[in-house]
Amino acid sequence: MNPLLEQFLSEARDFLQGIGEKLMQLEQAPGDSGLMNELFRLVHTLKGNSGLFEFPEMTRVLHAGEDLMDAVKDGRVGYAQDLADQLLDAMDFVGLLCDEIESAGRIDASRAADSVRLAEALRALIVSHAAADVVASEDNAPSPPPPTAEGAPPSLADIPEAIRVEAFRRAQDGDPLHWLVYTPVAECFYQGDDPFFQARQTPDLLWGDIVAPEPWPKLAELDAYRCVLGFRLLTAAPREVLDEYYRYVPDQVRISAVAPLLLATPQGIPNGGPVYSEEDAVAFEAILVAQRRILLLDDHPVWQTGRLKAVAGVLVNCFKATGDPEAAGEIEAALAQSLATGDGVPLLAWLDARHGDMQPSAAQMGQAPVSTGLAAISPDGTTTAKGVTSVMAAAPAAGDETTKFGRRAEDQPGTKSLKVDQVKIDHLMNLIGEMVVSKNALPYLAHRAENQYGVRELSREIKAQYAVINRIAEEMQDAIMQVRMMPVSFVFQRFPRLVRDTSRKLGKEVNLVLEGEETEADKNIIEALADPLIHIIRNSLDHGLETPDVRRACGKPTVATLTIRAAQEADRVVIEIIDDGKGIDPGVIKRKAYEKGVINEATLERISDQEAINLVFAAGLSTAEVVSDLSGRGVGMDVVRTAVEKIHGDILLESEVGKGTRLRISLPLSMAVTKVMIIESNQQIFGVPMDHVVETVRVPRGDIFAIKHCQATMLRGRIVPFKALNVLLGLPAEPKANADDELAVLVVRVGGETVGLLVDNFREAVDIIQKPLSGVLSSLAAYSGSALMGDGSVLMVLNVKEIV
Amino acid sequence: MPIEFKKTQAVFSEVVNVDDAEALLGWLQKKSSTKVSLSACTHLHPANLQVLMAAKPRIASWPTDANLRAWLESVLKFEQGDHYGKDYSNRG
Repeated sequence: MNPLLEQFLSEARDFLQGIGEKLMQLEQAPGDSGLMNELFRLVHTLKGNSGLFEFPEMTRVLHAGEDLMDAVKDGRVGYAQDLADQLLDAMDFVGLLCDEIESAGRIDASRAADSVRLAEALRALIVSHAAADVVASEDNAPSPPPPTAEGAPPSLADIPEAIRVEAFRRAQDGDPLHWLVYTPVAECFYQGDDPFFQARQTPDLLWGDIVAPEPWPKLAELDAYRCVLGFRLLTAAPREVLDEYYRYVPDQVRISAVAPLLLATPQGIPNGGPVYSEEDAVAFEAILVAQRRILLLDDHPVWQTGRLKAVAGVLVNCFKATGDPEAAGEIEAALAQSLATGDGVPLLAWLDARHGDMQPSAAQMGQAPVSTGLAAISPDGTTTAKGVTSVMAAAPAAGDETTKFGRRAEDQPGTKSLKVDQVKIDHLMNLIGEMVVSKNALPYLAHRAENQYGVRELSREIKAQYAVINRIAEEMQDAIMQVRMMPVSFVFQRFPRLVRDTSRKLGKEVNLVLEGEETEADKNIIEALADPLIHIIRNSLDHGLETPDVRRACGKPTVATLTIRAAQEADRVVIEIIDDGKGIDPGVIKRKAYEKGVINEATLERISDQEAINLVFAAGLSTAEVVSDLSGRGVGMDVVRTAVEKIHGDILLESEVGKGTRLRISLPLSMAVTKVMIIESNQQIFGVPMDHVVETVRVPRGDIFAIKHCQATMLRGRIVPFKALNVLLGLPAEPKANADDELAVLVVRVGGETVGLLVDNFREAVDIIQKPLSGVLSSLAAYSGSALMGDGSVLMVLNVKEIV
Repeated sequence: MPIEFKKTQAVFSEVVNVDDAEALLGWLQKKSSTKVSLSACTHLHPANLQVLMAAKPRIASWPTDANLRAWLESVLKFEQGDHYGKDYSNRG
């Protein structure tokens, strides 16, 4: 099952739940238009969603439901109890279909009839309620004529003898015979239907003909595009196959089972209906019985010949009267035989054969074989009788028509996924965070047990226990993290449409390549990523990619390629948006940035092309003309950068003029746990997010030199400027050096630049649950948050970007 | 072109689409005596079929496609020279 369908099913269940709830609420407050609108919206959305898939049965019912809700919403139909019942029933049906899709991957074609019935019932409510709104009529459970196999389709007589014999043979072989009347709706041509083709391709078609209106309108008044034709078909396909084949038009076909026996009867009835009335039939019966009795007389008087002739004459006339003149020939033949042998046996045999055929009830009792035409196929009456019973069984029972789709609670299949309010997960996350913190208190305890109380044994045991708790806590944290994980496809899936629509609008040809959609990251991160990504893609389409003409002139393939790739790299998710467009000209950016005052003249001279390109993320740049060059819709690239940084991500732009642009967004897998490096300065400890830390070095004081009033040193061939953390934080203390007179330098990267922070000492790196500062403290820009340490102390996490 | 309109004869070939019905109807309305050749036709959209059934032109040749022929013969077999008149379907 594809993810889209999975999501649809999960959503559909939510919608159904919502619809049910709203209907219940409406019962309490029928006049609440807000509720009504909400309900309509739910049904409408669900219908729209179902249209994405090939589930005509579901869409049909929902569509009818939507129409009904629309009518109610507009006040054309009043809300009533039975309306809710009908809607709930329909929604139960949709739920049933959802279950079926989930278990079988498809909807059984036999549902089509139910869906038509439900849709009709819903539609009928619109009419009946609108009509009888004042009277508040109760009776609006319409019962469309049940498609039972009542009686023989009289038109069987139109079928040529040879085909009927063939059909009978198929029936004897166990094939079910079905009579299908297909009456396409008049507008079907506009829906792209070809009913004639549909009819011609009907599976196991034995015979078919076309029904035309009577009389034909004048040629001048004929509308060629209003379908007036109908089709009548005889097929040997099973009911399910037919339902499946006509699943898109179940309301336009009537299928009924055909008893094989019926194929034999119409032989003598060319006018398509019984010629004789009930009394006639009785009289006819009586005549035949009398003739039979005459033939059975075993005296052989001299007038035997005359008697046989008389019987034959009576029979010929009788059958002629019932519209079967062909029987005359057979009677003549039998008579000739009877005359030759001098007894009535051949005539009697013929009569018996004929008689049984005329009287299906007799055939059922296994007395008489079927008609001569088919006698060869079924020489004994038993086969026929069997045929009858099997048809009886195949005919749908009319009594079952009122099947309800309401399911009891125990019918619900266990759903594999669980919908949980995010708040609960967040709560769980906080709890595990606290557990991690309290668990970290154990090593301190062990330390104290050993050093303060001198109980080494206890210390070791505490440490052992700690190891166990630590493992479980980590696994638990991991498990909760997994719960919050979502594949990036959640965001990616909307891109094909976005790219298609935008490129169409811009007259560009773009081939979108999505890679690594299954890469997972925390829900918050994925959700926060959606808007920036959309913005980036629009930018690429709008400004990066060229029109086909321009591309051709540059010698590039006319169809541009836009690749969106997600991958996991260590504990980060990397998303790359790569286009093969015209790229970004660093010269233009530099000039613009200078004009806008984003960079000064010195920087203008100094910065590399790569750095220049990344200036598009600068706040001041993304306005006015530059926007028309590099971004579009009122949101600058700085907004993208801000959004990415908010979720602790990095963004990097690489571009080559004429070749294309590559945008790389690197994000943490989860925001819940932050890895920080603990440093010490002026006897206080601070945390520095690991993302910023490049390296920790100890630099001899002698290697530090001053450039003007700024300290710096050479580190691996690069000049790294130093800043003392104490100074940055306004602490009146000098950085402390160690015994070898080396200063501790924490080299951090801030937005592409490296800076060395002079600190007193390095401590370990720890995982912390960072809490944002709240209240009065929230205005302290120097700190991004705080965390509780295992020993109960509070760790302030520095906001490196702000302080440097 | 699935339908080729000659002076008094429309020649159908292969699959005749729904779009052709308009032209066919127009052509049949203009002409008083028309013939239709269906021999090369393998399928025709019912829009065309109902135009033919209403106009009752003479069928110059039946489809070589036996299946299609069987279908069409039952509805397009008009008594010769009996255009626009007889109610053909008094058959059942």
